[in-house]
Amino acid sequence: MPTTAASFDFLKSAEWRRGVLRDAFGPSFWGFLAAAVGFGLVCLAVKGTDVVWDALVGDLGLLLDLMPRVLVALSIAALIWVLMPRDRMSALVGSDTGLRGLVVATIAGTITPGGPSSAYALLAVLAASGAERGALVAYITAWATLGMQRILIWDVPFMGAEFAILRFAISLPLPILAGLIARRLPFDLTIKGVAPTTPYRDSVDE
Amino acid sequence: MSIGLLALVVLLTVLIALAIRSGQDFGPVTRRFIEQFGTLVPRMLCALIAAGFIAQLIPKEAIASLLGEDAGLLALPIAAAAGLIVPAGPVITFAIAAVFAKSGASTAALVTFITSWSIFATHRILIYELPLLGASFLRLRLVSSFVVPLIAGLVAMAIGLVTGFGTVVPLQ
Repeated sequence: MPTTAASFDFLKSAEWRRGVLRDAFGPSFWGFLAAAVGFGLVCLAVKGTDVVWDALVGDLGLLLDLMPRVLVALSIAALIWVLMPRDRMSALVGSDTGLRGLVVATIAGTITPGGPSSAYALLAVLAASGAERGALVAYITAWATLGMQRILIWDVPFMGAEFAILRFAISLPLPILAGLIARRLPFDLTIKGVAPTTPYRDSVDE
Repeated sequence: MSIGLLALVVLLTVLIALAIRSGQDFGPVTRRFIEQFGTLVPRMLCALIAAGFIAQLIPKEAIASLLGEDAGLLALPIAAAAGLIVPAGPVITFAIAAVFAKSGASTAALVTFITSWSIFATHRILIYELPLLGASFLRLRLVSSFVVPLIAGLVAMAIGLVTGFGTVVPLQ
């Protein structure tokens, strides 16, 4: 569906705006703020004014450097979130018991966008539909270690593009390895209860 | 403009072009952007400021001797254990990783730390994995992927012997 003025109606919803503010300044935000102030005070007491000042100036430089990258990364994540149908990603994961099944599961996990609330919901659906155990482990391990969202929003801005590429390249075969190990473990696997439906609004992984 | 930002801008341009070509509605995209921005950016600011102070407070030598090049192979299990016990999401984890990087942790140790956290993140296990999949899946997954962070670290260490590619650009 193309963009129309009605596409942005959510901006007018007072309920939505309140929800965004509630999430932005929820309990964990105040925890982070308290940590920043608390460690600042300890730093002031132990190291003195100059060090606190230096740290703050350093932080400012860091933020100026970081913010453009974070903004672009968040835009990419938002586009991928909408462009990639999550249920179709996970539907790729099936009962193929060969190496192929693990490769497909790894790719699906890597490109599944979003935070843990959607990834685990998809995993539960897969498990309930009887997907093979190696593929289940490979899928969620790939989402955790290779997930594009995490690499774009966190690895690239904070650690640099080279580090992100290195970590991605090294981790690429590892979900397959985990899947192979899972297939050989003699554990009983009983999947819990009814699979939930995928939430439309993925809670943000903070 | 750094390579990281450049790569991100190129990717963004490609995705926007794809979205326009396929007649994508930009309403949900904007909505998702604002929701993620609202939750992440205020926390990120506080966590980075806290990390800046913590970096001043902790003795750099201690971090460097545990996680630096001189710690050798021992750095890997230490980094894996550190990643295992962080019971929080990426805001805190990457702020800690930035502190480690500033204090002289090696690239291999940082790869191990982040991989270990991403696999074991205890908050995710408690909030999502146990309720949705149950203990038997958790046991299967943990035993299957237990070696993954260490292997990642070993490979990073081996690559580090050949090339300096992947060295963290210290955030300061």
